[in-house]
Amino acid sequence: MTHIQRGVIGMAVWMAVAACALGIPTAQAEQTRFNYRLKWLFNTSVAGDVFAMENGFFADAGLDVQVKEGSPEKDAIKELELGYAHFGVASADQVIRALEKGADVVVLAQVFQVNPMQWIYRYPQVQITHPADLKPYNIGITFGGNDETIMQTLLATIDLTLGDVKVTGVRFDFTPFLKNQVDLWPVYRNSQGVILAERLAKEGETVRFLNPADFGVDFVANSIVTSGSLAADHPDLVARFLSALLAAWEAAMDPANQAPVLAAVKKYDTGTQGQVQAAQLNATRILVKPDPDIPVGRIQTAAWAQTEAIMLDQGLIRTPVHVTSRLRNPASFQ
Amino acid sequence: MLFRRIYQFMIVYGVFVGLLLAVKTGLSLSDYVIPGIPLILDTAGQVAGGFFRDVLDTLSVAILGQGISIFLAFFVGILGRRSSWAGSMIRVTAYNIQAYPIVALAPIIFILLGDGFLSRLLIAAMICYFPLLLSVLGVMAAPVPDIEHFYLATGRMCWHLEVKIRAFENLSKLTTVIAGSATLAMAGTIVAEFIAANAGIGYSIRIALYQSDLAAILTALFMIGIVISVYQGLLESLGEAVKAKWGSENKGALL
Repeated sequence: MTHIQRGVIGMAVWMAVAACALGIPTAQAEQTRFNYRLKWLFNTSVAGDVFAMENGFFADAGLDVQVKEGSPEKDAIKELELGYAHFGVASADQVIRALEKGADVVVLAQVFQVNPMQWIYRYPQVQITHPADLKPYNIGITFGGNDETIMQTLLATIDLTLGDVKVTGVRFDFTPFLKNQVDLWPVYRNSQGVILAERLAKEGETVRFLNPADFGVDFVANSIVTSGSLAADHPDLVARFLSALLAAWEAAMDPANQAPVLAAVKKYDTGTQGQVQAAQLNATRILVKPDPDIPVGRIQTAAWAQTEAIMLDQGLIRTPVHVTSRLRNPASFQ
Repeated sequence: MLFRRIYQFMIVYGVFVGLLLAVKTGLSLSDYVIPGIPLILDTAGQVAGGFFRDVLDTLSVAILGQGISIFLAFFVGILGRRSSWAGSMIRVTAYNIQAYPIVALAPIIFILLGDGFLSRLLIAAMICYFPLLLSVLGVMAAPVPDIEHFYLATGRMCWHLEVKIRAFENLSKLTTVIAGSATLAMAGTIVAEFIAANAGIGYSIRIALYQSDLAAILTALFMIGIVISVYQGLLESLGEAVKAKWGSENKGALL
């Protein structure tokens, strides 16, 4: 046997081992348990997902779905491609970046109708009624994060850049905001925003939130995604999953179901106090279902197009990906 | 030695990237999961310059942190070499403190010291200090009876002679440990930057991770590997030179 033959055989063996290690059996289509990878840890912002899991929505649809917690290191789109997950939650920028790099991903529903990424500030010390009002303030930014892109876009509406305002890089620690060293701090409105607002309220301080959408910057947040091949090859399966999940979200956002929803969330998020979770659920409700007439999961095509345009404009992607062609209206599966 | 370090790293890096590309090809993965060679090269072309400066920034903090930890390790190691109660106490304390995960303490350090230079330096020093200390303690606490006996018997033994004898007899070990601690100092600095700093290659890696940019991360790993290989190679060469010089100058005097 020559060196080349040995090399080829070695490579083939290695590839087989790698494929097994990655858990990609050829009979994947026959698999009955489906993995649904969230974007973040179990908390109130995923109330609908937890409610679906805990209250038998998936089982009623004849599906065995394992809802898996997310984290900063976990990327649902990569897991879809590697076969670790069948459905997932990803932010719009993740979807657009993935499409640019050839990933086969489609958007099934848009969880948040209003992006929870907003800036908290003390009122009346800070007053923002127009993006130009931002100029004298020290603004917190997570460099490399969504909020950097959103703030850049917001400032661009008044022909400013981040270099024209005072910016402070932020992390997990709220101390600079609590110490009044930073005037506007980026938070997820329905999780950290609630905690910070309560904390400052105890000190007698009032807060408000800067929502970039109020000034025309619609940057889409989390959405439910799957692979294009799964959506094309098994539309019935996708329809059942989506129908069950959106029904659970509708139920979870109904104030009449507050108690069972909080009980379901509490089971997984034991570290947050009940009253904080109740406030977080109220805040989530406004973001997911801002109007009773808006169905949960509605995809805002114009906002997706704007998100892509923003990313293209800021050089976060180099070529258009035509993301709107990858949006699947939830109604089309039902 | 320097060139051997570099080409050994190039081989390891090449094998690593080759395996990634084999997985990509074998499983038909997109560039989003594992970037292809064109994307890696394209990204490297865009970020390599900035990343190189970031790695040098990180290295400068790591070298300073390593210097501080070497000084402290020798200081405490020399104090703790005695089989006295105090020496035993220092050794036990060092062993126990080493068990604490520095990464878990890092957020506290950042809250207290902010996310600037001092936090990075302190974490880098802490991460490479304890392994160094244990090695230095091990060397300094182990007598060299064949040589020390002569000085003890003639009443000429003093503390700095004792330290000198033990250091000289274990010079290879100390050189290896110091060169190895460079990796720890670098890793410590990168971890610190990744967690909360606002500069350095760890900070750039975190941003690339936010943006799911594996090509940028691979470029950063290459830069880190090359720079640390050169630094370690230089340290080893320096160790050899010191050993040769010290040996020729002092061996006669010692013996």
